[in-house]
Amino acid sequence: MSTFFLRLTIGLYSIGLLHSFLTIITRKKTLFRVAMAGIGLGFISHGLSILFAWVELAHPPITDNHGALSFFAFGIVLAFLISYARYRLESLSVFVFPLVFILTLAANLISSSQTPLQERLRSLWFYIHIPTLFLGYAAFFVAFSAGIMYLIQERELKRKRPQAFYYRLPSLEICDDLGYRALSVGFPLLTVGIVAGALWANRALSQPWGWDPKIIWSLITWLIYAILIHYRLSSGLRGRRAALMSIIGFVIVLLTFTFFRNQGSAHSFIQQ
Amino acid sequence: MNLVLVGLSHKTAPVNIREKLHFPEPQLPEALELLRTRYDAQEGMILSTCNRVEVLAQTSDSPEGVRQVTDFICNFHKVPYDTLQQFLYDFTQIDVVRHVFRVAASLDSMVLGEPQILGQVKTAFTTAQNAGTIGATLNQLMNRAFFVAKRVRSETTIASSAVSISYAAVELAKKIFNDLKGKTVLILGAGKMSELAAKHLAGAGVSKVLVWNRTYPRAIELAEVFKGEAIQTEDLFRHIERADIIISSTGSPTFILNRADGERMIHLRKNRPVFIIDIAVPRDVDPEINKVSNIFLYDIDDLRNVIDANLRQRQREAQSAEEIVQQEVDLFLEHSRARDATPAIVTLREHWEAIRQDELARSRKRLGPLTTEQEEALENMTQSLVNKMLHHPISELKRLSRHSSNQDDITTIKRIFGLKE
Repeated sequence: MSTFFLRLTIGLYSIGLLHSFLTIITRKKTLFRVAMAGIGLGFISHGLSILFAWVELAHPPITDNHGALSFFAFGIVLAFLISYARYRLESLSVFVFPLVFILTLAANLISSSQTPLQERLRSLWFYIHIPTLFLGYAAFFVAFSAGIMYLIQERELKRKRPQAFYYRLPSLEICDDLGYRALSVGFPLLTVGIVAGALWANRALSQPWGWDPKIIWSLITWLIYAILIHYRLSSGLRGRRAALMSIIGFVIVLLTFTFFRNQGSAHSFIQQ
Repeated sequence: MNLVLVGLSHKTAPVNIREKLHFPEPQLPEALELLRTRYDAQEGMILSTCNRVEVLAQTSDSPEGVRQVTDFICNFHKVPYDTLQQFLYDFTQIDVVRHVFRVAASLDSMVLGEPQILGQVKTAFTTAQNAGTIGATLNQLMNRAFFVAKRVRSETTIASSAVSISYAAVELAKKIFNDLKGKTVLILGAGKMSELAAKHLAGAGVSKVLVWNRTYPRAIELAEVFKGEAIQTEDLFRHIERADIIISSTGSPTFILNRADGERMIHLRKNRPVFIIDIAVPRDVDPEINKVSNIFLYDIDDLRNVIDANLRQRQREAQSAEEIVQQEVDLFLEHSRARDATPAIVTLREHWEAIRQDELARSRKRLGPLTTEQEEALENMTQSLVNKMLHHPISELKRLSRHSSNQDDITTIKRIFGLKE
């Protein structure tokens, strides 16, 4: 059942991908309403897919690449829908839909190898650790997209030669505001996720802090976002520099998520 | 439908010709009345603006209609046809529909997408309505034209970008701040241009206006216009960081704001952006200031560049608008043909209803008195017989009427059933 709904989801998300492609190629808003309907229905179907896997495994289905990618994509769509409800930014969809499609497609291609988790690893901290991190990453992706939109729009305004982007992208203030709000949601989630991970490791593995690359990079990410938020609040760090930091932060998140995945010790045992 | 349109516009005629053919508003009712009574026009409408003069009419024959309307224009203005010939254009039938749609949607305007033309067309329509020269045909055409104009405005961005200096400034401010509510604008140099730009910004929602001028009394004067605040001449740099938007147009021969001022401002404003519009010549603001992060400086040439880009953007959007117009022209034509075919369908039904009634009367005579049930059965039987027989011819008539090339087939059907034209 879970696989069926995930396939349905990828079909629905592909409408969103089509929208992004056509919008970039024709430089006009194309198929947006249809794409939104596709993404909305896809989101429901995606939720069902995760729910069925959850029931089957009797714990959140996030213990292998398949489940992780699927959940990450789900989180991004959720973050997008919330941002859309608040800001009505159609241009955000051009960033979100392709990534969501790729993640879901990857999840589809990797067949699920999830087996019920070993008893010793099951704990409340585990249930908090991974989902909060993914939702945090999804929020950081929104901040990343807002940062890119900010840089493009700022360049258009500084060059004084308006081109297609000038007309299609939102104002600087909106990009900046969206980026900051996404950070202020993502940062607490990241913090909770890291702390929960440490507590979980303490309980399950009897060692709270293994210095594997994933943990190190997560801390670097945390530090970048902490600095960004700190300076925003204290001396009004905003605009270009804030946008750049949001972009760098998310690039490191992606590296943490992909490259450093299986190298470390503590974070590779789940698949074994 | 025998529509004709004769006229000239900024595209075909210079202003000295356009002004000769201008219909002053008070004379319009009289002119319309003349058009209807003395010339072969059952319906008529006159659009006369500074960029175009057009007479639209529903006549009994199109080539003759063009001659009639042309005569009307020449005679009314007492201008010989020879002098006008090279400037006039004329359209008939479907081309009238397309032209009217394009004009109303502002696709034929000097500034593509400018919004005034739709209002002018609406006024012309109301004037003709009051003069009693609007009938079913023009009513349908014009209402559809208003709908098309609305569709073009909402489905394309043809009219959404600024094409004047003041509006370009407002548009840019919105690209930076999004909402101008709560923002403060500072006017440096109380001139006409800066006042105009500030008015547009105030109209777009700016909350506070500060005015600084070389002479303080003049600053107070202008501040009063905006219910704003005048700044003492020597206090400029104590207040400058309050401004989100600065409009500068002083007569100063040297820069009054340089890069260091900009950096200090941004520091004091905790990086909140500043939009500086320098409309002074010679310029008031050192262009280097644009390199400071979060400061956006536009001088008068930059604003003109934005307007040029906006016009090009409108050109691109015009293509989508033309597609909408084409769809609507096709749709209008289809509907008007269906309306043309309706009389044939009605006559066909009436013809057979008469035959049915005749035959019923004859049968009743022969059958003698009938029970209510028998009467009902007879009625139903004949009715359904006629319906079944006519079902196919009628749906075929409806289908054929959608394309003008089928006019001969429609005539044949009419002939087969013995219907009069």
